[in-house]
Amino acid sequence: MEALVTWVQATWLSRQIVVNEWIWPAAETVHFIGLALVIGIIGFLDLRLIGFFPRVRIAAVRELIPYAIAGFVLNLITGVTFLIGHPEQYVYSLTWWLKVGSLVIAGLNAAVFEWAVAPRTVLLEPGEPTPLAAKCIGFISLTAWFGVLYCGRMLPFFGDSF
Amino acid sequence: MSDVLTWLEATALATWTRQSSSLWAYPTVLTFHTVGLGIVVGASAVIDLRLLGVARKISLESLSGLFRLIAWAFALNAATGILLFMADATTKGRQPILYIKLSLIGLALWDTLYARRLLRAAPADDSVARHGRFVAVSSLILWTAAIAAGRLMAYV
Repeated sequence: MEALVTWVQATWLSRQIVVNEWIWPAAETVHFIGLALVIGIIGFLDLRLIGFFPRVRIAAVRELIPYAIAGFVLNLITGVTFLIGHPEQYVYSLTWWLKVGSLVIAGLNAAVFEWAVAPRTVLLEPGEPTPLAAKCIGFISLTAWFGVLYCGRMLPFFGDSF
Repeated sequence: MSDVLTWLEATALATWTRQSSSLWAYPTVLTFHTVGLGIVVGASAVIDLRLLGVARKISLESLSGLFRLIAWAFALNAATGILLFMADATTKGRQPILYIKLSLIGLALWDTLYARRLLRAAPADDSVARHGRFVAVSSLILWTAAIAAGRLMAYV
């Protein structure tokens, strides 16, 4: 791991991210905008799956998902920017690995939803109760995404990243 | 003004927020502020996207419950924002970017309240008036700018 960290730090890209003072604040700002899109849209779908907003058609909520994915891509790009700029802040941090773990859980959960649960759930009419599987998916997703947010925001406090 | 800031920063609550080594102090307050941000701006974005014509099959009226969520999250951010401000009042009170951020939030909030009126008065065919698009675009721009201003407080 140490060799990898040293190698990344020595790359031209890593140097640029550290040397250009505006890159970090700009990436942070974009990271927070992406966060809002993911939490807002995925969170809305999760709450709907759990049973809130019963009059909202689940099939229609899915049309918002591309915007959540756009937010996620923004966060992936800016997140990788932080990682390349200061890999040592993250790869030795348990909090960061918990964040990555929460992301993996959120991703697997979304995959299970798409393949196994969504096909029947999206057919529900407004007002029909959601099945238990959908409620579980919604709950796991909400927990995992807030876990991602919590671990990310706590990085400076459970370690020395900025 | 300066006296007030110094006094605020010296209060027990501000001192605890700033100096306590407890994770419940500054880190938790800051994390709740980020959670609230995600809910306020994210839920507003859902409404704005719908007003712009995305996911048309969601009836406008059925989204009005989101405003209650936004109101709770906004209250959380007002409370945590006041704590974060108090903790470093003499520094933050002198940052022009804070006042820019507060102005942007004020405008964005006005915009969101107007969107609520639009949703409540939505016609039976769920069509969005032309000014509904203006409300949606300005809300997206203002909330994004508010996030940028808030983030930049850590850097300027």
